[in-house]
Amino acid sequence: MVLELKNIEKSFGQKHVLCGVSFCAEGGRAFGLLGRNGAGKTTTIRVLMNVFPADGGEVLIDGRPIDHSRIGIGYLPEERGLYPKKPIIDQLVYFAQLKGMSRSDAVRSVDAWLHKLGMAEYRNKRLDTLSKGNQQKIQLITALAHDPDMVILDEPFSGLDPVNAMLLKNVVKEQIGKGKIVLFSSHQMGYIEEFCDSIAILSEGRVAIGGDLESIKRTYPRDRLVIRTQQPQPILEAYGDACTVGEHGVLMLRMASPEDKRAVMASLAERFEIDEVRVHEPSLNDIFVEYAKEQ
Amino acid sequence: MKQFKTIMGFELKSFIRNKGFIFTTLFLVVALGVLMFLPNILSAASSSEEETEKPVMLVNASDGALADFVHSAFGEAFADYDVRLTDDGEDAIREQVVSGEAECAFVMESLTSYTYYVNDLTMTDSNTAIADSVLQNVYRMSMMMQGGMTPDQASDVLSVTVEGQTEKLGKDQMENYWYTYIMIFALYTVIILYGQMVATSVATEKSSRAMEVLVTSADPVAMMFGKVLSACLAGFVQLAVVFGSAILFYNINKDEWADIPIISSIFDMPPSLLAFMLIFFVLGFLIYAFLYGAVGSTTSKLEDVSSAVLPLTYLFIFAFVVVIFSMSAGSVDNVLMTVCSYVPFTSPMAMFTRIAMSSVPWYEIVISVVILIGSVIGVGVLSAKIYRAGVLMYGKKPNLFETIRTVLRS
Repeated sequence: MVLELKNIEKSFGQKHVLCGVSFCAEGGRAFGLLGRNGAGKTTTIRVLMNVFPADGGEVLIDGRPIDHSRIGIGYLPEERGLYPKKPIIDQLVYFAQLKGMSRSDAVRSVDAWLHKLGMAEYRNKRLDTLSKGNQQKIQLITALAHDPDMVILDEPFSGLDPVNAMLLKNVVKEQIGKGKIVLFSSHQMGYIEEFCDSIAILSEGRVAIGGDLESIKRTYPRDRLVIRTQQPQPILEAYGDACTVGEHGVLMLRMASPEDKRAVMASLAERFEIDEVRVHEPSLNDIFVEYAKEQ
Repeated sequence: MKQFKTIMGFELKSFIRNKGFIFTTLFLVVALGVLMFLPNILSAASSSEEETEKPVMLVNASDGALADFVHSAFGEAFADYDVRLTDDGEDAIREQVVSGEAECAFVMESLTSYTYYVNDLTMTDSNTAIADSVLQNVYRMSMMMQGGMTPDQASDVLSVTVEGQTEKLGKDQMENYWYTYIMIFALYTVIILYGQMVATSVATEKSSRAMEVLVTSADPVAMMFGKVLSACLAGFVQLAVVFGSAILFYNINKDEWADIPIISSIFDMPPSLLAFMLIFFVLGFLIYAFLYGAVGSTTSKLEDVSSAVLPLTYLFIFAFVVVIFSMSAGSVDNVLMTVCSYVPFTSPMAMFTRIAMSSVPWYEIVISVVILIGSVIGVGVLSAKIYRAGVLMYGKKPNLFETIRTVLRS
């Protein structure tokens, strides 16, 4: 299954929020939707979920306009919250029923998920008696209980402890493994890099950078070397402005051109006492920050 | 449709499970039960008292001939008292009343003047009024006898009765005032109460951010209608339980209440009026609940709800005040009421009152109901649109009119 957004336009009053957003996400792979605050991520998601119609453009599934009555979508919103005063089982079953499940199926599925996430003991408790992380797990069930074809997770890892984050990672991997379209939106680039094969960075209502993550990384010049050494001083002195101290005490050496790589590496190994030298691969974080700086 | 049913079931459950709902309903049923069984309770209490002696009433008349006359007349008029003649002086009588030996005392100076002694004058003490009329009769009788009439003639003159009949061609406002009042009051309370509940429920979903999931899971129109209709059903159930138990309790105690015309007039309301009550309750409820829901959706914090719904509440209170004043003034067909009975926001109460207390031609009722139904549909659709736009607006100061403008423009 392939989800395709084509030139989505959306304005609220005078404000042009989306100006031709296009991207493509495939089933069985995770897609990262990035962007600074106010870039239009939530609006894109809402158009996708038919909360309001787009002013222009198309949302296609396998080349045909999306039929929301047939395509199930699970959504974990960034702004979390359900009914604080109601028993957990009641509201989870309610949400699953709203998504079209029969009552008995909903109860069965919700119970299975509660069990899976280690929340079975809270089944009949009120939501507001739970800790924040546990409430978040309950909210995750509202997104997944009806076994949707597409899962949209907005900042899914925020507020989770490492154990729960691991649990969620496994759940996400399982969903991807089932061939579902998984859409991630997050500012935690580490997670995006871990899961997503393709991304779209939104900026001012446009896709500024989009496509396969590896190819995006490759378009960035490989003109910097990372040097790990016990004696940085001589290297810093030898290269002057081209060499700076990076994170964790490593040295970053900017070369005149990527083709100089072998010569510079050989020269470094010959002249200095070094533990490691490699070409610097830009992380998604670097790409994002660099892009944001340009704005 | 399936979604609508799910929403309605969920909302109805949360209304019915609400502790306030259960408590209020139970309280009203119990209170009505106590009220309706009151004559039984009272008569049970007084029947045990009957075995004790009657309270003593002392009568002191200076004139001996007068004394016997008054004694027999008072004995007849005050059957609940043990009426005793006494020759004691004023001080001795005061003492007996204060000590409780006698409950009260009449000291007659002449046939037309007396002093009444009583320890604590209760609000319902009508002894002097009874004594006045007894003494008036005694006086008139003695004067007529002095003028040469026989006692029989005199008593015939005094006991003459006028026979008259009232043929009511329309409605009897004395009879229907109370039940109309009760029904209007019930309508008012239920609509205000449930309207606020709908507004709060929408605002709660927004402030707890459950709306984020809801709005992506369900159609806003279905949500709005599900919420409002379930509130209407819950309100109706509550009214039916309260009124039903009142009618049941009344029928159990019907004989006890036969003497009290206000109570029996309330329960003798014509069934057709109940049908009108149902029509105007449902339509009035819906039109206000839709608006309350729409207003609730424009607020993002629970604290804002009560101030945001104020204009609506004022509108409703206005309708209530117009109706109650017109009812008290006895002119339910005045110009204001006639106008109000066609305006959709006031007609549920105004038209209902006119139907209950005066004679309204059928076509006026039809016009009013048709306008109301049309307005309910219009307001419902508009409210769903406001709701759709309002639920995703956060942070902004709630402004219904601005929201309506946005909705109309889109």
